[in-house]
Amino acid sequence: MPDFDQMIVSEEWENTDVSLLETLDHVLSRGLVIAGEITISVADIDLIFVGLNVLVSSVETAHEVLRKRETE
Amino acid sequence: MKLYCYCLCADLDTFDNSVSGVSGAPVRVLRIEEISVLVSDCETVAATRENMLAHAAVVRSAFTRTTPLPFRFGTLATEQQLRSFITTNKRALANKLAYLRGCVEMDLKTTWQSSNSSPPKPNPASGPGTAFLMEKRRELLGDEQAAAHRAELSDLFRAELGSLIKEEKIGLQPPEKTVPIKVFHLVESARIQEYRDKVQELREKRPELQLEVSGPWPPYSFANIELEFGSQFGVS
Repeated sequence: MPDFDQMIVSEEWENTDVSLLETLDHVLSRGLVIAGEITISVADIDLIFVGLNVLVSSVETAHEVLRKRETE
Repeated sequence: MKLYCYCLCADLDTFDNSVSGVSGAPVRVLRIEEISVLVSDCETVAATRENMLAHAAVVRSAFTRTTPLPFRFGTLATEQQLRSFITTNKRALANKLAYLRGCVEMDLKTTWQSSNSSPPKPNPASGPGTAFLMEKRRELLGDEQAAAHRAELSDLFRAELGSLIKEEKIGLQPPEKTVPIKVFHLVESARIQEYRDKVQELREKRPELQLEVSGPWPPYSFANIELEFGSQFGVS
């Protein structure tokens, strides 16, 4: 199994802040995304059913996706 | 009650109770279609640093025992939605878990630019129409050069790290030249040290690459199944 004591390899990365940023970048920008659904209701009456793709992302990733879509 | 989802695993029946989940909630294993899902009972989750780190800690804890398929931070679903997602994508998820089994993600960053990677600058003396067209041309050329640069990098890593890389993903080149390009490699966990040694050799051979390496990480960058990747932004 991976050795997490050696998680940060090169000397430049033996910095807690950088490690923290890397960790946050991973959990925010990558990983499996599951599509959800919501129903918008007013006064207990269902009005609109909306397919919802909830996304929490870093700005950089959002920028990447937009650029990809523009080039397609 | 909704479920906060951390990761999917092929073969995890129990979870270490000493690791807390988001908002301090306990983490439990939910078995759906022979796939284990690490979840916490949770209605909402705040996007705080503590919760993001808790998410990472749960995934990392699973990673010490098996290869997880991490969810992105903030994944909340009802049990019904989760069951529907896994049942619908059972084959793709099982294939992905089998593909990733025994592998880790290693990340590289480089600020290196190839010599011909700067698109031409517009002439400031030109009129607005010409300037617009020049800017569009510059954008198109920039995209082409960025693609060529990624291909160049990929060829370089393939040549130097070759058989150690099971899969590679290269991030798009950021417009700011000082922002590093990210490269993600899927590597067998048994070959991590070999990978590190090869990267170190490459750093010594090509110092201009300014390579920075981190890992091993759970395979966040290789977690999405194609169906979901295409649909997550409403693109079919």
